[in-house]
Amino acid sequence: MFKRNHELKLIYIFIFALFAIFLFYPLVLVLMRAIQTNGVISLDNIVKVISKERFVTSLSNSFLIASITALLSTGIAFFLAYTIHFTSVPKWFKKLINLVATMPMLMPTITYGFAIIYTFGKQGVFTKIFGFQPFNLYGFNGLLIGYLIYTLPIAFVLIKNTMTYIDKKQFLVSILMGDSPLRRFFHTVFRPLAYTLVIAFIQTFFLSFTDFGIPAAIGGQFEVIASTLYNQMLGSIPNFHNGAVISLVMLIPSIVAVLVVRKIEKMNVRYENISDVMLPEVKKKNWFCGIVSACIMLGVVSVFAVIFILPFVKEWPYDISFSFVHVIETFQSANLLDVVKNSFIVAIATAVCGTIVSYVAAIISARGKMPKLIRGSIDFVSTLTNALPGMVVGIGFMFAFKGTNIQNTYIILIICNVVHFFSTPYVMIKNAFMKMNLSFETTGRLLGDSWFGTLRKVMIPCSISTVFEMFSYYFINSMVTISAIIFLVGAETGVITTKIKELQHFAKFADIFVLSLLIFIANIIMKTLMNHLTKKESEKRYYVEAK
Amino acid sequence: MLTLNNLYKSYGDNTVLEDISLSINNGEIVSILGSSGSGKTTLLNCLLGLVEIDAGTIELDGKDITHLPIEKRGLNIVFQDYALFPHLSAGRNIVYGWRNNPSVSTQEEVDDLIDLLDLREHLDKEIHELSGGQKQRVALARTLTLKPKVLLLDEPLSALDGVIKESIKDTIKQISEEFKLTTIIVTHDPEEALTLSDKVLILDGGKIAQYGTPQEIIEKPATKFVENFILHQLHIKRDNILKLFGDQHV
Repeated sequence: MFKRNHELKLIYIFIFALFAIFLFYPLVLVLMRAIQTNGVISLDNIVKVISKERFVTSLSNSFLIASITALLSTGIAFFLAYTIHFTSVPKWFKKLINLVATMPMLMPTITYGFAIIYTFGKQGVFTKIFGFQPFNLYGFNGLLIGYLIYTLPIAFVLIKNTMTYIDKKQFLVSILMGDSPLRRFFHTVFRPLAYTLVIAFIQTFFLSFTDFGIPAAIGGQFEVIASTLYNQMLGSIPNFHNGAVISLVMLIPSIVAVLVVRKIEKMNVRYENISDVMLPEVKKKNWFCGIVSACIMLGVVSVFAVIFILPFVKEWPYDISFSFVHVIETFQSANLLDVVKNSFIVAIATAVCGTIVSYVAAIISARGKMPKLIRGSIDFVSTLTNALPGMVVGIGFMFAFKGTNIQNTYIILIICNVVHFFSTPYVMIKNAFMKMNLSFETTGRLLGDSWFGTLRKVMIPCSISTVFEMFSYYFINSMVTISAIIFLVGAETGVITTKIKELQHFAKFADIFVLSLLIFIANIIMKTLMNHLTKKESEKRYYVEAK
Repeated sequence: MLTLNNLYKSYGDNTVLEDISLSINNGEIVSILGSSGSGKTTLLNCLLGLVEIDAGTIELDGKDITHLPIEKRGLNIVFQDYALFPHLSAGRNIVYGWRNNPSVSTQEEVDDLIDLLDLREHLDKEIHELSGGQKQRVALARTLTLKPKVLLLDEPLSALDGVIKESIKDTIKQISEEFKLTTIIVTHDPEEALTLSDKVLILDGGKIAQYGTPQEIIEKPATKFVENFILHQLHIKRDNILKLFGDQHV
C-alpha cells in the first residue's frame, strides 16, 4: 500500500506543480495586473475601465447576444435531439442529424464568420442565387448566426446524451394514465431534462460570451467583450492593465455558472432503470419534427457549403469556373505550409501530453484512495479550467512567461492547450475509472504486478476506448482553437487559426477556406481513425469473450 | 371476457406469434410463461397496443379493441421496473393518473387502495427511498386508481427477493379477487406461474404449447417442451428441497 501511494504521490506532485505554474500563477498575475497601479494595490484600474461607456456597451452587447444565442441554441438542440429520440423518422435521417449538428465542432470559429460573409454577404452565394441580401450581416445578425452554429454541437451533444438516459417507459405510462400531450411532454421529457437544459443554456451562453473567433470575423461595429479585450491587449495602443480588468470581468459569468450548477444539482432526475421501449408511432409528429429538423440542417449546411465550394472556384464571384489554383497556391507557399506543419506538431503533441496528464490526474482522483483534499483539488482544477475563457488563459500565459525561454515556442502553445482543454478528457476518463472494477489494482498486486504493471496491463487496456476519445478531443480542439494561443504564437510558431486571422487583413478568403478545409479534413481523419480503433478494440474484446 | 382470435405477428421473415387463440374469463389470473424469445413480450405488446398484429382480433367484453390506441383499450400495465416518476413523491405517483380522470375512482376508493397496499406511511417518500416491494405496490396502486378492466403485470416478481416475493404474490391474488380484475402476468418462472394463476399459457417458439389450469399442466403436459422444459425445472427444485429438508417437511 505504501509503495502504491508513493507512486501516486509522485504523480500528484507532478500534477500539482503543473497546474500551480501553468494555471494558478498566470491567473494570479492577471488579478494583480488588474488591481495594481504603479506597484500599489488599488481599484483605480477597475473603476477606470468599468466607467467607460464603450466598455459598458460591449459588456451589455455580450450579455444580450449570448443570452439570445443560448436560448435559441438550446431550443434548436433540444428539437433535434427530440427528433432522434422520440420520433420514428428513418434511421439514416437520425444519423444525418447527428452528423450535421456536430459538424461545426470540426472547424475553427473564425471560419464560421467568413463562411457567413460568403453566404449572406453582398457577394455571397445566397445573394447570388436569390438576387438579394437577406439581412445586414455585420454585427448582431452575423454574430447570432455564427454563435448559433458554434454552440449548437455542444448543446446538442449534452441534450442528446441525457435523452438517452430518459426512461421511455414513462412515456407509455403517461399515455395509459390519460395525460394530455402537454402534461405528457412536461413529465416525461421536459422535467427529466430540465437540469441538462439549464446546463446547456449556461454552456452555450458562456461559449458565446467568451468566443473571440466569430466577432473577429464578423463583429463589425457591434463590439463585444472579447473584441474589446483583444483590442486592449493586441490593438494599436496596448493597455495590459485594462486587459487584465476585462479578463476578470469575463470570469464573472464563469463563477456565476459554477455556483448556479451546484445550486441546481437537485433538479437532476436520476432513473434507477433505463429501458428503451417501442413508442407508439404518431405520423403527424414524425412529419413535423422531420421537416423542421431538415430545415435546421439545411441552414447549417448552407453556411458551411461555401467552405467546400470557394477553394475550388477560380475567382469568386467573377469567375466561378472550377479550379485548383488556390489549393495549389497554398501548398506551394512555404509560409502557409509552415503553419500547417506547426498546427499538426502542436495538435499531436497536445493530444499526447494532454491525454497523459488527464489520465494520471483521474487515476489519483478516482482510483487512488488518496485523501479527500487531494482528490477534491484535482476536481477543482477541472471545474476551473472548464469555466476559464481561453482568452483569459492566453493573457495569463502572456503575463507569466514573457521573456522566459518558453516564449514563442511550441512548448508554451502545447502546455496552454493541455491546461485549457483539461476538463472534458479528465471527466471522460474519471467516469470510465469509476465504472471499472475497484479490485483491479489489489488483484494485480496479489498476482505480483507492480503498480505500473497493473496500469499497463490492466487499466490502460480496459480504458483504451476512452483514451482514444480523449486523444481525439485534445487533437481536434488544438486544431480549431484561437482564443488562447492568439496571444502566444511567435513568428515561427504560428498555427493555422492564427494565420487565418492574419489573412483576414489581406482579404485572402480563398486561402482562408483552403486552410479551414485542411483543418476539417485533419479532424475528420482523426475522428474516423479513433472511431475505427475503438471499434476494433471492442471487436477484439468480443472475440476474446467468444473464445 | 378477453378473447384473442388467431393472432399472427412477424418481423420480416421471423414469425414471432403464430395462431394464438384463447379466452380469459373476467376476474381470472392468467400467466404467460415461456423462455426467452418465445413471444411473451410481443404478445404483451400486442395486447397493450404497442405493436400492430399482422392478423387476428382482440376482443374485450365482446368489443373489438384490435386497432384502438393504447389509452382506449381498457388495459393497463405495471412494468417490470415499475417506471415510477422519479421527480414525484410516492403519493403523487399514486394519484398521477387519477388526477387526469378523477371521475373513475372516488377519493374514498383511492384511500382504501392506499390502505389495502399498506402505503399510507410512505406517501411522502421520494421514489429512491422506497424498497423494491414498496415500489411495486406504488406502481400497482397508480394503475389500479384507473380501474382497468385488464391488468397486465410484466415479470412482477423478478426484481424482488424471497419473503417480499411471497407477500406480493398474496397482494396480487387479493387485488384480483377484490376488484374482480382480469390479471395477465408475464413470467419466465414456472413456479411463479403455476402457484399464482388460475390458468397458464405456455408459449414455445411463438406458438401455444399448452393453455390450461396448473393442475392440467402438471398432470397432462401437452407437449415434450412442457414436460422437458417447464416441469423439469420444478422437479429439480422439488428434489433439491427434499434433499435439504427430507420428506416430512414438504
